[in-house]
Amino acid sequence: MPAFTEPPTEPIKYVDAHVWLPYDYVAGDYRAAYLRALKEKRILGSRCDRTGKVFVPPVSFSPHAFAPCSELVEVADRGTVTTFCIVNIPVIGRNLELPYVAASVALDGADISIFALIQECKPEEVRMGMRVEAVWKPDGERHGDHEDIQYFRPTGEPDAPPETYLHRL
Amino acid sequence: MRIQDFDTAPLTQRQILEFTYKHSTGPVVGRFLAALKEQKQIWGQRVAGGAVVVPPLGYSEWDASTAKEWVPVADEGTVVGIARVRQPVERLHPFTEPFAYILVRLDGADTALLHVTRADWERVEIGSRVRAVWKPDGERAGSILDIAEFRLVE
Repeated sequence: MPAFTEPPTEPIKYVDAHVWLPYDYVAGDYRAAYLRALKEKRILGSRCDRTGKVFVPPVSFSPHAFAPCSELVEVADRGTVTTFCIVNIPVIGRNLELPYVAASVALDGADISIFALIQECKPEEVRMGMRVEAVWKPDGERHGDHEDIQYFRPTGEPDAPPETYLHRL
Repeated sequence: MRIQDFDTAPLTQRQILEFTYKHSTGPVVGRFLAALKEQKQIWGQRVAGGAVVVPPLGYSEWDASTAKEWVPVADEGTVVGIARVRQPVERLHPFTEPFAYILVRLDGADTALLHVTRADWERVEIGSRVRAVWKPDGERAGSILDIAEFRLVE
């Protein structure tokens, strides 16, 4: 005979679970070339064979024209703030002093923008059309990843007129 | 510049997606687990047709009817399924040494419980008789691993 007539009435409410999923990200030809170029302080894009639009980071085909992008081109490490937001909420894994500015920057020579941090200015000074330049990690400290560009900072140039960037937000 | 002009040796990076969460057990599995911790007793539930389901679900998998009374079952049973893990993957598996996942139909139960055997991972066979090895008092936390493993009944 069992010593008990039923299980305890008070249930265990939770079981701690831990998800741990290791995997190997494979960059592919274009992304590999892009990342390796960052190490040399160069930013690569790819040009659409049909429309001539330049995508950064480079893609092997244009999701816009459904055409190959068989040419890799170098774009500038400076550009124009197209959109931005001021972040006031801390995010786990991102150790930045609040508030900070996350922006889209259309690099000179590119037809779409990349995501970037804007620093060395007050958040309230950031605006659409502001001209910015990349601040790279020093030589020997770049590893070929997105952190090779630490952030972008204002260049002091006059703002770009809207017609130069509104089609590449 | 064409892509062919570049060094395009494969570029890979090990990435780890990791997060913790609390799995809500519900009232049925919650009491099943509480019994492992407090009673060292494995409980099933009788469902329509008379089958005893272990671990209990609260309902019948045959006709979806609500489970009836709680039924105690033995901590000894018969192995009905085996997956031997010769090369465990770090952290993805519960142990770093080879072990076997086993399905055990406990005496008094009509369904099988998924568990492990570590010491007998090579010797266990379909039809083997196995018995639960309980963690000592004070170490049981209300988890299926309150049963440390199953071992062959010699």
